[in-house]
Amino acid sequence: MSLVAEAFVSQIAAAEPWPENATLYQQLKGEQILLSDNAASLAVQAFLQMCNLPIKVVCRANAEYMSPSGKVPFIHVGNQVVSELGPIVQFVKAKGHSLSDGLDEVQKAEMKAYMELVNNMLLTAELYLQWCDEATVGEITHARYGSPYPWPLNHILAYQKQWEVKRKMKAIGWGNKTLDQVLEDVDQCCQALSQRLGTQPYFFNKQSDGDPDRNKTGRQILTPERPAPPRVSQAISLQMPHTPWSAACGTDEVLAIRK
Amino acid sequence: MAAPLELSCWGGGWGLPSVHSESLVVMAYAKFSGAPLKVSVVDNTWRGSRGDVPILTTEDNIVSQPAKILNFLRKQKYNADYELSAKQGADTLAYIALLEEKLLPAVLHTFWVESDNYFTVTKPWFASRIPFPLSLILPGRMSKGALNRIILTRGEPPLYHLREVEAQIYRDAKECLNLLSNRLGTSQFFFGDSPSTLDAYVFGFLAPLYKVRFPKVQLQEHLKQLSNLCRFCDDILNSYFRLSVGGISPAGQEMVDANLQKLTQLVNKESNLIEKMDDNLRQSPQLPPRKLPTLKLTPAEEESNSLQRLSP
Repeated sequence: MSLVAEAFVSQIAAAEPWPENATLYQQLKGEQILLSDNAASLAVQAFLQMCNLPIKVVCRANAEYMSPSGKVPFIHVGNQVVSELGPIVQFVKAKGHSLSDGLDEVQKAEMKAYMELVNNMLLTAELYLQWCDEATVGEITHARYGSPYPWPLNHILAYQKQWEVKRKMKAIGWGNKTLDQVLEDVDQCCQALSQRLGTQPYFFNKQSDGDPDRNKTGRQILTPERPAPPRVSQAISLQMPHTPWSAACGTDEVLAIRK
Repeated sequence: MAAPLELSCWGGGWGLPSVHSESLVVMAYAKFSGAPLKVSVVDNTWRGSRGDVPILTTEDNIVSQPAKILNFLRKQKYNADYELSAKQGADTLAYIALLEEKLLPAVLHTFWVESDNYFTVTKPWFASRIPFPLSLILPGRMSKGALNRIILTRGEPPLYHLREVEAQIYRDAKECLNLLSNRLGTSQFFFGDSPSTLDAYVFGFLAPLYKVRFPKVQLQEHLKQLSNLCRFCDDILNSYFRLSVGGISPAGQEMVDANLQKLTQLVNKESNLIEKMDDNLRQSPQLPPRKLPTLKLTPAEEESNSLQRLSP
């Protein structure tokens, strides 16, 4: 969005308080949603919980197409629709709720850096596992992604999405990576996050904007609620030793998301 | 380790040992960790033709990307991060991710996509270092790769137009530079007094942006306002790279640049002239060819004529 449009949107956002009927849209929980989308949705839910803002989760099969940016989740607040964690955080900040006010400049820089690390490494690894690993694609992803649609649309949409993701992977240089290399990167990333967290309950001592992002992926990998792709179970066994971080994901889950 | 380590990478210019970010990262890390690296510049050879540069070759292995090369050097006990704590190691990974997500698209855009910069600086520089006929193909391919990467990673809705994507990536890059400047503060390197991997990466990304002279310079101007980052680049250049720039003095380098510019201008003028002549020929009425009495130049005169036209 151009600067003018952004300023305009923040002004409108600042004008009204948070309504009671704010809704968050995601794909169908049981049959359709994939690992990366579920993680993003959890992150937004955790963030809004941490800000004490009420939100209702609604599942729709065409959530991806309803979203203004093509990504889930997106929230519908008043008469505005905002998608993805970054813009949602800014939107909420414009309404006057922010978790990162107490951080100084260096900490804000670190927070942004760690959020990029999670996005860059973990999210890309999730996409790779879902769409570029043949075993997972065949067993889980194709079936889940196309489940709400009739034949042959389910196959066509799934292949189209797979082609898009593969193109993106090739552009950023992950096209030639083997699964073992990807798992190694994930391991390195988890170790880094674990060391940053140490024994604190949150990454920057009290809750900040970056925490939901990191907890979402941790919880995603650790929770056995959804059928995990076979390779992800392998990844889980890599992450188990990193206890401080897994513990932090656990506590947040207990506090915030169980409804 | 006794095995000789040889690095092939793109050459230098404008006071830098290499103009290519990734090559610069590897060279800086090697200097910081004390690895005895023999640098062989890919100039007019076919080795850089696959576009995989930088490549590290030892007796048994060939390692290709900067992250893998750094890992390999660490395994060979050339470790610049020895004194870092675990948390600082984690911070390194995080900041590298930040650089790649926020700064790299804008740097790629400044070098390869912005047409003024690409056609006047980047393309002639790379084309002059790649043998013909690859010099016609490879720079174009690298430019398309850069544009592709920017559009696929950042060009998603609601940004539909390339202008909006450009505005967004430059904004992100400026924010990233500000964050780096805040993090560096007044210290000499990012983690204390000795340089580490993060310093190598930041130097690799920032130094070309800082030193190469471009027509369109908005990101460079922003960088020049952050004096601690400029001081950081200059310090590393002076302390680690002063003696091994290849013996080209700054004055000599500038002369080479001036010659290159003159040659480029001459070639452009000639091609414009040829285009005009072509247009004239096409527009002139189509008459049957008749035999005109022409003066036939002797071969020696022809040769001296063409030589005179090409010399600067």
